[in-house]
Amino acid sequence: MKMDVHPQLALVPYVRGQLGQDESEEVRLHLEGCTACRAEAASLLAIWEELSARMEELPQQEWIAYRSELRRKLEARQFRRRRRRIFALMSLTAAGAAAAAMLMLVVRSPTHAVPAVEELALEQQLGSNDLGLLRNYPVVERLDLLENYDVIEHLNELSPASPREQHDSRS
Amino acid sequence: MAELPDEELCSRVAARDNHAFEALVERYQARAYRLAYSVLGTEADARDVSQDAFIKLFESAGKFGGRSLFSTWFYRIVVNLCIDHKRRHRWWSKIVPLRVSLPEGNEAGLEPVSSLPGPEAEAMRRETATALAAAFVHLSPNQRVAVLLQVQDGLSSREIAEVLSCSESTARVHIHRGLAALKKLLKKDE
Repeated sequence: MKMDVHPQLALVPYVRGQLGQDESEEVRLHLEGCTACRAEAASLLAIWEELSARMEELPQQEWIAYRSELRRKLEARQFRRRRRRIFALMSLTAAGAAAAAMLMLVVRSPTHAVPAVEELALEQQLGSNDLGLLRNYPVVERLDLLENYDVIEHLNELSPASPREQHDSRS
Repeated sequence: MAELPDEELCSRVAARDNHAFEALVERYQARAYRLAYSVLGTEADARDVSQDAFIKLFESAGKFGGRSLFSTWFYRIVVNLCIDHKRRHRWWSKIVPLRVSLPEGNEAGLEPVSSLPGPEAEAMRRETATALAAAFVHLSPNQRVAVLLQVQDGLSSREIAEVLSCSESTARVHIHRGLAALKKLLKKDE
């Protein structure tokens, strides 16, 4: 198949042998019948070859000095990275130690094992109230009767406590 | 070491083989430097950036997957560092009145040096002692990179497209226009 348009952009890849088989064949067929494109392809190949031969004209460096400078730069960078890594490791260790110390403090905190002073005082007060009730134990004992409605109905008929019981309850 | 292919050397660099690294540096130093020079336009910047590209190569050789040629992968690093370098130094143009700021929409920072009246372009013009280097100044950086990689390394337009992050047809346009411009410029000098 012959190309209708001039394949100008494909000329350099064509002369360099970098086109696929199909496209290369299309360009070849076009060039057979197109003098202008043949001339263009020839001149592009000529300039390519000239450039290739003159590449060394572009600025150069003193390569030994270039490489030793590169080595120095690389070493300096590696040193900085190593130092940063050590610093990060040390920071991590310090943070870990601090976290462990905090954990120890929380675990061994006296609030869990020994009651606070205020709690002790409250417990003592409640205890002494209970003891007061126990002092009137015969009365408390009789309060149980309230649970029995039959007894409640006949409260007036209960015999009064004996003088000895009254003395005991007072003491 | 010298006869080993690039890809093998790169995998040895990934394993921290300093001899392999030295071999790759010797093999690519001139090409990387010329590529950086073609984008940046000054010898000092080209030296710095190409060395940075080798450092980057040393550090990230393990990331080379082998899906493309080593040269394509490495040149992509060089071009990216050149673009970063130009971006980093762009702020300078805003505070130094002698320098004309870059045109809008030129995001990649690859503006034609020959069209800039600033000190960078002036420095490049001064440094271009040879006719070829002087002719190169008149190309756009994309054209310079495309022509350089085509002539220096024989990369195909598909591989050049990979380096420049553009389509293959765009790469062909850069190659064709660059060569056509050089043909005119070099003929004029003769």
